[in-house]
Amino acid sequence: MTLSQGKAIFIWGTVISTVIFLFLTYDSLVRMPKRTHAENLSPQVASGKWVWQKHNCNDCHTILGIGGYYAPDVTKVMSYRDNDWMTRFLKDPQAVWPAARKMPNLHLKDQEIADVIAFFTWVNGIDTNNWPPKPVAAAAVTAAKPGEAIYMAQGCSACHTIGGVGGKIGPDLTTVGARRSKEWIEAQLKDPKSHFPNSIMPSFAKLPEKDLEELADYLSSLR
Amino acid sequence: MKFQSQKIAYNYFIVAAVLFGLQIVFGLITGAKYVWDYDPLLSILPFNTSRAIHINLLVVWLLFGFMGGTYYLVPEEADTELYSTKLANIQLVLFALIGVTAITGYLFGWTWGMPFLEQPTVLKFGIVLVALIFLFNIFMTMIKTKKWTVIQGVLLGGLVMLAGMFLFGVFFMKNLSDQYFWWWWVIHLWVEGAWELVAGSIMAFILLKLTGVDRQIVEKWLYVEVGLVLFTGIVGTGHHYYWIGTPGYWLWWGAIFSALEPLPILFMVIDTMRTVRERKIEIQNRPAMNWAVGCAIMHFFGAGVWGFAHTLPQINQWTHGTQITASHGHFAFFGAYAMLNLTMMYFAVPQIKGISSFEPGLARKSFWFMNFFMILIALALAVAGIVQVYFQRVLGMDYLTTQGFMKVWYAVFWVSAWGFAAGVTMFFIDFFRLGKVKA
Repeated sequence: MTLSQGKAIFIWGTVISTVIFLFLTYDSLVRMPKRTHAENLSPQVASGKWVWQKHNCNDCHTILGIGGYYAPDVTKVMSYRDNDWMTRFLKDPQAVWPAARKMPNLHLKDQEIADVIAFFTWVNGIDTNNWPPKPVAAAAVTAAKPGEAIYMAQGCSACHTIGGVGGKIGPDLTTVGARRSKEWIEAQLKDPKSHFPNSIMPSFAKLPEKDLEELADYLSSLR
Repeated sequence: MKFQSQKIAYNYFIVAAVLFGLQIVFGLITGAKYVWDYDPLLSILPFNTSRAIHINLLVVWLLFGFMGGTYYLVPEEADTELYSTKLANIQLVLFALIGVTAITGYLFGWTWGMPFLEQPTVLKFGIVLVALIFLFNIFMTMIKTKKWTVIQGVLLGGLVMLAGMFLFGVFFMKNLSDQYFWWWWVIHLWVEGAWELVAGSIMAFILLKLTGVDRQIVEKWLYVEVGLVLFTGIVGTGHHYYWIGTPGYWLWWGAIFSALEPLPILFMVIDTMRTVRERKIEIQNRPAMNWAVGCAIMHFFGAGVWGFAHTLPQINQWTHGTQITASHGHFAFFGAYAMLNLTMMYFAVPQIKGISSFEPGLARKSFWFMNFFMILIALALAVAGIVQVYFQRVLGMDYLTTQGFMKVWYAVFWVSAWGFAAGVTMFFIDFFRLGKVKA
């Protein structure tokens, strides 16, 4: 090979790849508004994105799988947490999720919390080509026990352990169904202080009656 | 060294070396947060801040190294003194001030909040100014003699691309997918585009000088290698467009082109080995030679093999956003760019200081320490990542619970990082004592 042939590889390699890339870029920019349901990009969503950036959330959390690996990915967070949970968590993360690895309290204003939740809600609707993939093994389990999904979504495992998995702050629930009746569990969920006046467990009375029922069903099935 | 103005490179290397050391300090702090969940620094230096500082120091010290390398290389290639050493010094001070301001700002929560591009917008414009001063100085030097060697042509191309791409990361967009689309034009087209051009030409220059082989041959292969790097790397950006709200066809384009990305790097290894074998002069500077050959090999494994391992979408859908990426990131940045800069420093500093030979013992030790422990770092993070993929992604276990099962590997990672830090300390001692200790 001669120097000029090497030069030709350099020039043509660069030109061909650049042309393909620019064409695909143009096409992507045409298609992305639909894939990202850009019509729902309200000023509040944009404000929420800035709250996300201003506090450098992305260097702990990944979003769309990009960022720091120290905290959970938030791309689909609104698929498994509700507004109320998110609001409580962002107001005081350590009260809602008292795990050893902590998120600092960012002292967000109520408006900022609403904005960043609007941002997450919008992000949740982005067409990510089905990323992250559905777990292979867990899908069947959660479908069989709706209460377990609520248990996960409400973050109960931050404090309680089931089968060796979870936190150590509250009692182990692996065999709670053998110790407590379903009625007792429902009462505990609605008002923890009714059984233990000094309990630090938050009340879940705000959950819809159906969710409470399913959660109590699930817990009392643990024997 | 032929020209007095090449000495300006040493100032850049000093700053680069100091920032490299600081990067490791912040790396150890950041890593400790994985090993012990309880973080006593939560309110003063939380994970996001220490990570931002760790990765910003990485980019900035590498850029200082590239700039120093360029200032050393260009006068010799253009066969003339630098256009302005004064401008080069102003550029250095300005860049250092912006860097110090950015990092101090992070500690007080002043941030723009996109990874690697956390610098607030006003500082980004300062960085653009630094780049313009740099390009002006380099360009004015080159046109003094109009000796357009391939090496300096590729270098200039890389530097212009480096500066130009940065502009795509300056502006706030309300659509996160758009923001990340353009963000990759900075991040990916830097490390798998512009930086490869800069690093490729610096490496070609060093090999040319160390081995005395024909310029024609070195330059021919430089063309082929960077040509293939750009051919695979530009459309290869698509491997970042699988899951961020971009069309599905990127799964094909990204997969095919990025799967080819290791090829030019393999060429570089073969090319380096051949050049060393066919050397025309006795190699005086053994440490520089070690780093050059090591760089080619580690570049191939860290960027090429480790990147290829999770670049196909069928695999990447499981590994994306896990510690697998962190493993690849550490390995690739070290092999491709940190080692390139260390090669350049070991090559240029003795000449700047007028030393013909020096005691290579500590250089050899630091070389083996850094390489051995970087491999352990990459392996430990990879195993942590595999645990994460299976527990969290395949079994659907909760994020924090999974982290608990990864702890032992974080510990291996962190202990290895101390070994790496020991290697960096040896380099530090060696770097600053060069010329003070007789061979």
